Amino acid sequence: MSDLLIIIPAYNEEKNIECVVDRLREEYPQFDYIVVNDGSKDSTAQICRKNGYRLLDLPVNLGLAGGFQAGLKYAWEHHYTYAIQFDGDGQHRPEYIQAMKDKMAEGYDIVIGSRFVTEKKPRTMRMLGSNMISLAIRLTTGTRIKDPTSGMRMFSRKMIEEFALSLNYGPEPDTVSYLLKQGAKVTEVQVTMDERIAGVSYLNPVNAVKYMSKMLFSILLVQNFRKRDKKYRKKTGEEQV
Amino acid sequence: MTTVLRVILILMSLLILVVMMRKIRHAKAKIEDSMFWVAFALLLVIFSVFPGAADWLSDLVGTMSTANFIYLLVIFLLMVKSFFMSMRISQLETRVKELVQRIALDNNTLEEQMKEMEKKEQEK
Repeated sequence: MSDLLIIIPAYNEEKNIECVVDRLREEYPQFDYIVVNDGSKDSTAQICRKNGYRLLDLPVNLGLAGGFQAGLKYAWEHHYTYAIQFDGDGQHRPEYIQAMKDKMAEGYDIVIGSRFVTEKKPRTMRMLGSNMISLAIRLTTGTRIKDPTSGMRMFSRKMIEEFALSLNYGPEPDTVSYLLKQGAKVTEVQVTMDERIAGVSYLNPVNAVKYMSKMLFSILLVQNFRKRDKKYRKKTGEEQV
Repeated sequence: MTTVLRVILILMSLLILVVMMRKIRHAKAKIEDSMFWVAFALLLVIFSVFPGAADWLSDLVGTMSTANFIYLLVIFLLMVKSFFMSMRISQLETRVKELVQRIALDNNTLEEQMKEMEKKEQEK
């Protein structure tokens, strides 16, 4: 058994899931993985069962946050040291997992697979949103996160526990911002991402605006008033002293 | 308060009461949840039957007319109600999420055990 669990949230990914998981199984058998089928309406779950994938099959759709949290609960209950969020649509490349894990071993709580550590950010509408979130995080925490919206994030054991067992810990930039403020050690590792293999992205203009307002509202306002569970307060950042 | 307003208030209250009681009869609402609506309806009935009480309260608060006071009161009560409902929905969603995740985790454990048992049987 590996000490790293790759969590693959999948919602209606019947066209991509085989490609993504087969590659992991063939080329990266040193890592464990689990597919979280988030109540898909298509045959995602059947495909996983047919191929004998490790599968968490949610009976109803919970959304990315709930689905990913289910994966983290699995990681927590099966005693994994690290867990990584890995898209089921083929955007994330597994060759960067080892590099992120190595970085993790330096004592970080969260390592983000970032598109813009050494590469420059393109000037598109999407990146404008990314810049705004970066700025909000910098204003409230003083830390620079160059790719806050990257969905490829690796978590340490103590983060797995905290994310798995608490409320309002979605795998989104606002949680990262909150934890930064609480003294968690977060860093980025340069990765390259691909376009999704098939299907349409969830990100249309309406959803993008909704997402942006929610993130900015959350980072700039709500996160300042959150109270962290005592259990976790001393655990992060103690190495920094 | 004009007579028309009083009649409307009474009719509305009766409607609320009837609908709520029907829901309870058909087991569609919990008794706890009906309490707010029954109290709400009774309050409106009291103000329509004894407008003096509403006039007195209106003077006390300083609203221009008694009708304004009634609007204000109704809006306030509904806001409080919707706030608590919003809290309850949050709690419910959290509970549903916990349950769904638990079901998936338990099913996974079961399936893994089944796989192992099948393997063992094949080895035999």
